[in-house]
Amino acid sequence: MADIQTLLLELHCEEIPARFLKPLCRDFEMAFLEFAKEQRLGSPTVIGIYSPRKLAWRIQGLSVAQSDISETQVGPPQRMCVDEAGNPTIQGQKFAEKWGVEFSEIKFEQLAGKKEPCAVVEICRPGRPTVEILSTALPMLVSGLHVPKAMRWGTSTYEFVRPIRSILCIFGSEIISFTIDGVESGNTTWGHRLYHREQPDPLIVDSPENYETILEKGEIIASFDKRRQMIYDQLSARAKEISGRLVPDPDLLDTLALIVEWPTILPGAFPDEFLELPKEVLVTSLKEHQKAFCIEKPDGTGLLPCFLTIANRKDDPMGFVVAGNEWVLKARLYDASFFFAEDRRNRLSSLAPKLASLTFHRELGSYAEKTLRISAIATTLAEQLGVNADLAKAVAEVCKADLVTLMVGEFPELQGIMGGYYLGLEGADESISMAVREHYQPLSAETPIPSTDLGAILAISDKLDTLAGCFAIGMIPTGSKDPLALRRAGMGIVRMVWEKGLNISISVLINMGWDAVAGRAKSSAEETKKALLAFFRDRVAYQLELAGIPSTVKNSALAVGWDDLMDLKSRCTALSAFAEDQRFASLSVSAKRISNILKDENPAEKFDAGLLEQAEEKTLNAHLGLITATGDYNSMLIALADLAKPLEDFFNAVMVKCENAELRHARLSLLHCLRMAFIKIADFGLWQ
Amino acid sequence: MHVQELILLLQSYWAERGCLVGQPYDIEKGAGTMNPLTFFGALGRKPWNVGYVEPSRRPGDGRYGENPFRLYKHLQFQVILKPSPAKVQDSYIESLEALGIDMAKHDLRFEEDNWESPTLGAWGVGWQVVLDGMEISQFTYFQQIAGVDCRPVSTELTYGIERICMFLTGIDNIFDLTWGDICTDQGRFPIKYRQVRHREEYELSAYSFEHADLELHKYLFNAFEKEGWHIVNDLRHYHSAYEQALKMSHTFNVMDARGAVSTTERPGMIKRVRDLACACAKVYLELEEGEVENG
Repeated sequence: MADIQTLLLELHCEEIPARFLKPLCRDFEMAFLEFAKEQRLGSPTVIGIYSPRKLAWRIQGLSVAQSDISETQVGPPQRMCVDEAGNPTIQGQKFAEKWGVEFSEIKFEQLAGKKEPCAVVEICRPGRPTVEILSTALPMLVSGLHVPKAMRWGTSTYEFVRPIRSILCIFGSEIISFTIDGVESGNTTWGHRLYHREQPDPLIVDSPENYETILEKGEIIASFDKRRQMIYDQLSARAKEISGRLVPDPDLLDTLALIVEWPTILPGAFPDEFLELPKEVLVTSLKEHQKAFCIEKPDGTGLLPCFLTIANRKDDPMGFVVAGNEWVLKARLYDASFFFAEDRRNRLSSLAPKLASLTFHRELGSYAEKTLRISAIATTLAEQLGVNADLAKAVAEVCKADLVTLMVGEFPELQGIMGGYYLGLEGADESISMAVREHYQPLSAETPIPSTDLGAILAISDKLDTLAGCFAIGMIPTGSKDPLALRRAGMGIVRMVWEKGLNISISVLINMGWDAVAGRAKSSAEETKKALLAFFRDRVAYQLELAGIPSTVKNSALAVGWDDLMDLKSRCTALSAFAEDQRFASLSVSAKRISNILKDENPAEKFDAGLLEQAEEKTLNAHLGLITATGDYNSMLIALADLAKPLEDFFNAVMVKCENAELRHARLSLLHCLRMAFIKIADFGLWQ
Repeated sequence: MHVQELILLLQSYWAERGCLVGQPYDIEKGAGTMNPLTFFGALGRKPWNVGYVEPSRRPGDGRYGENPFRLYKHLQFQVILKPSPAKVQDSYIESLEALGIDMAKHDLRFEEDNWESPTLGAWGVGWQVVLDGMEISQFTYFQQIAGVDCRPVSTELTYGIERICMFLTGIDNIFDLTWGDICTDQGRFPIKYRQVRHREEYELSAYSFEHADLELHKYLFNAFEKEGWHIVNDLRHYHSAYEQALKMSHTFNVMDARGAVSTTERPGMIKRVRDLACACAKVYLELEEGEVENG
């Protein structure tokens, strides 16, 4: 018999919610590895295999028995075990009996921490067979799994994600016997329900290695990755057959692979008339209601009246599955068309009063109030940026109205998008409909920001109101708690200012936000602004990472100011070119020395250069002139790079804090002026 | 497949599987779960199997009989199995076969869908059952009713009668379904769903959206509440008190459909219904406990 063996455990349940499959599989993997280590069962590898009704793990390289362990048992002192004649005392014999050894096997040793020699025996504990250990440990490992939404069933008090209906557990070919909530483990499992219409008996799994093959005979693809790949391949092939292009959706692809045991992609069609619906409505409706993919024309000019959906079986022998899906989809799209028509019976702006009864936040009032605030911010912001303020105000007033349309009621993720469509269909100016459409952007760090300036103004105003409002009522994100996604909103504002090059500082934005929400505030202006400033600093630092600014540059550039993002951006861009330049490493050392020297000094802004004596300091002064004379950051940095050597020479040759007070002051002033020149661009002390 | 045929098939299938055939409860309600056969049946320790059809009113879904897919009042067929049997999924699937759905030719999925009724203080976990892409049933393991842990756990199966009937017949307007045939001396006539229910849909929609007297409903809501608490507290009568909670719930739904309940008022009003329902459940359980102790 080999020293190691493979274990297979499968919990066959009623359909496990898709979102829990992978996490549960992972949790058990971790718990098992820890258990194997603790129990000295070798160093196994665990492979989690999950499908809608099955959580399974194949564990390779598991020792067939625990490794033996030897233990030292310490007994009474020597004098208690042996009498004066050298014979064993009763106590000595009892100690030997207790550990099942002859008295002669006892040794007497002086152990650390003991006053005198004591009786010692070495006990060798042979490792227990793995099978034995597993039969008690596996049920406990399963019970110990953290199930986020656990349930009970039947008369039992056992809790799990869904009822466990059968358990497969083999170690090599040997069954490991145990029960969980009355279900006995064995070497069988169940295939697809359709398979068992013909084959009433369960499938026998003779070896852990054959698990997937045997299940495949039972019409289940055990592996998630394989199911996902099959779905992907079929989607691509089917799209090609229809001469179209799949509208990709990786999340939907994952979901499908989690809800079927044997994936088959089926093509369906819907009546052409529904193509009048906006593309987003069709895509969302197909995805949310039918878990179906849309197909677009190869040139991307629009959708085809087709969809691809999934069946949990090998085929569709009578076409019933496709027909059923088409029928349901028609009903859904009929609903969507109804919403689309109903919503357009009134102008979008006429819906705005309804926002008064839609709560944005209990302490921040309704969406009608939010609209007023966005409008105030957008007007001021547009004025500052030289954009038509009347237009910004008009857009702001209508931007939230689509929240009370039927379509957004049905599909909340279409907020903004529907507003944009409805305004466009009413004949509103394209800049208006586009701004409304875009104002929830960016939805993440990777997705686009509004394409137009008006869209960006509206998006900044909306997010700024949310941020300032929440901060003013003390709702500040901490750790993983950020229910209103404030960090995302902050990131969005910074990205828009940064990427669009908007000429507005963060502190001005914060003031605008505060002015809008002051009436609702619970915290003071000072407190709120301070918290917002700290919050934005982190967002700006994150923006530098997103923009790919080297970390050498990031901290030193941020340290001398970040309120003006355009200035920060040009400094970072200029600095990045020198990120690897050795001369700047030297400058960094010198900058730290300057800081140290100037720590307790208060040097004058001006000094008489005529006082300088040594060649090194005269050279340095000449360079200072060059630096301060430069216009832009780039030429300034070139000048700074050239300063590295003279500065090094200066520190090597010149004793700054000399006896002569006049000279000392001149030297300190020179260094001070240098530091002032640096600080315009970065704190080189942090350059590393 | 006629509407009545579907109901008859489900009734006889579940009767053969050891269920009582229950009757709809004669008070307006939003879902079959609110029928006392389920609300009280799922509480406590005694075994309980029952199936029944329940007209379920959702005033907000009223469409004056103009929408082919939505109704003010639809029919649910509701099955309660307590404790939940080990082969409950199989029994459910066989019930579909009994309706003439050959599972060899269709696609069936159980997709996570957890159920919750704030009005009843109840929740459970389970699935929506999806047949060829259409949701045809809700399948729930009750975990709590009236804020009390369900021990043992019941399974609740809810079939949407009109939906399943439309699906089986391929008819895409509820009102075009046939309810059944009537035979007279003059011959046999098919009767459409339209003939049985269309006028009712129209009037009930109009009533709840336009004509219901809101002041009266506000008054009724408070009056039912007062009456309910009086009965349950002073008489310890849980059944008649629960009827008051059902009436509160429907009254609330009518006001809600009119948009007369603001978002801030809503949770408070739902809680008032729940509190009364929970008080009824508490008395029910205390009395049941007494019965068990007295043998």
